[in-house]
Amino acid sequence: MHTTKKFWYRANTVLVVIVAALVVFPFFWMVRSSLMSNLEINQYPPLLLPHHWRFDNYPYTLSVFPFGRYFLNTLTIALPAVAGVLLTATLAAYSFARLDFPLKRFWFALVIGSMLMPGAVLIIPIFMGWSAIGFGNSYIPLIVPHFLGGGALNIFLIRQFLMTIPRELDEAAYMDGASHARILFRILLPLIKPVLITVGLFTFILMWNDLMGPLIYISRNEMNTVSQALANFRSGFGTDWKAIMAASTLSIIPSVILYFVGQKYFVEGIVLSGLKG
Amino acid sequence: MRRTKLQRHNAVTAYLFLTPAILGLLFLTILPTLGVIGISLTDWSGLEPPAFIGLANYLEIFTSDFYFQSSVVATLYFAVGAVLTGIVYSFCMALMLNQPLPGRGVWRSILFLPYIVPVIGSSIVWSWMYEANFGVFNYVLNLLGFDKIQWLQDERMAMPSIILMMVWMSGNLIVIFLAGLQGVPKTYLEAVEVDGGNFWHKFRHVTVPMMSPVIFYNFLMSLIANLQVFVPAYAMTKGGPSDSTLFMVYLIYREGFMRNNFGHASALSVLFFLFIAALTAFIFATSRFWTFYQSE
Repeated sequence: MHTTKKFWYRANTVLVVIVAALVVFPFFWMVRSSLMSNLEINQYPPLLLPHHWRFDNYPYTLSVFPFGRYFLNTLTIALPAVAGVLLTATLAAYSFARLDFPLKRFWFALVIGSMLMPGAVLIIPIFMGWSAIGFGNSYIPLIVPHFLGGGALNIFLIRQFLMTIPRELDEAAYMDGASHARILFRILLPLIKPVLITVGLFTFILMWNDLMGPLIYISRNEMNTVSQALANFRSGFGTDWKAIMAASTLSIIPSVILYFVGQKYFVEGIVLSGLKG
Repeated sequence: MRRTKLQRHNAVTAYLFLTPAILGLLFLTILPTLGVIGISLTDWSGLEPPAFIGLANYLEIFTSDFYFQSSVVATLYFAVGAVLTGIVYSFCMALMLNQPLPGRGVWRSILFLPYIVPVIGSSIVWSWMYEANFGVFNYVLNLLGFDKIQWLQDERMAMPSIILMMVWMSGNLIVIFLAGLQGVPKTYLEAVEVDGGNFWHKFRHVTVPMMSPVIFYNFLMSLIANLQVFVPAYAMTKGGPSDSTLFMVYLIYREGFMRNNFGHASALSVLFFLFIAALTAFIFATSRFWTFYQSE
């Protein structure tokens, strides 16, 4: 009995390692292709590793794909968006977690209910609205919505986290005459840092990965985000696979670094939204 | 009853704090909802003032727009296919990761990673792996003695190819399943073992029923997410070949933003919403038959 169990654990381990290798393979294939000449990439049967490592693919790609500019463009959108989400979602979450006010249940139901509206349904009227007031082809439509409540799921997550903090803690401060804003920003904020980091990371990744938003609003090439520039680069450089692979590698590096740095929070965030949402 | 000063103060603060969220509801949900319905009743290219044409867009969609039918089929095919395979894959992986395993965190990180990278990046790499002449998939098929496949150019293969990539990306489901599995009480599993039950018995009579709310959640959330898929169609197939991957969101984008047919695209959006809402309502209505909650 004991030995068969051991056998199955071993078999399981081997299987997990095989699947993990298959999952990593596309990343490996991308980096490997980014270090080859087009001649080597198009060789059949394909080479596992480059014969001649072409590290100069990267300087070449950067000369036709100004990653730095796209990177800064994306940050120009993503950082304010993260700030907006954190600020306005925390304010709303505090109201729902700590304050009593007329129509509270109504507003809460409305906020949570808005989560059920699929984003893709409303893009046309929202686009028309921004164009009508003269903000087409600017970053405003990509940033400002994040200052309007920060998303129902984020409000919900921060509220749930706030509810786990004993109310006595801030009520005492309130009795001593501290304002709600002071309580929230001085006393509670340090305590809810984990959920704020989680929400911030997810918002950043969402902005980094977003393609449809920039496609709709940004038409000038020098204003493109990384994802958008990559999509355009692909159609423009259709056969230059080494450059496309190098540009793809550059575009996923920030996500990968951020993931490994903030892994604990990513996992927490997925679990929080999955099991308690 | 008169409100006390404190109550009034709290209410004022609450509404102050909620102002951004309420503005968001108004400008990002309520007005656009009215807007999309309104625009769907017009013929509008975005340049001239919209012309009211009643239900003509809807009539056109149902009678002469064969793209719409293709897109319903493609969207449902993709959503169901990607959800079912994604759930089976991630549930199996979560079960396997939940066994005693050296370096479990490392394997979990690796399986989760594809979820976090930009879909456009993944789409590009996968397009290259699917490439018919030099792609690595066809090389492996050749090695195994099969003929090459036109992965993204064959109208029967394009959808399964995209589904395979999306399954690769479903690391979030694995993480949620893993967390759920850690909540399955050990005592139940041990009880089955004491009674002489094997792995299958434990799986069938403890793990699956205890996990059914998590399975339900993952099912619903990934269905809603997958119904809205856009990037693979945009980057890999442009909706083709022969409209086999013409997802509804891609069709809405194409009609609205590439053909400036805003009225038509809005009518499609309204139908798309009704489609998702009906599907969600149906799933919720039937959910009590196949989920089990411990408190019941």
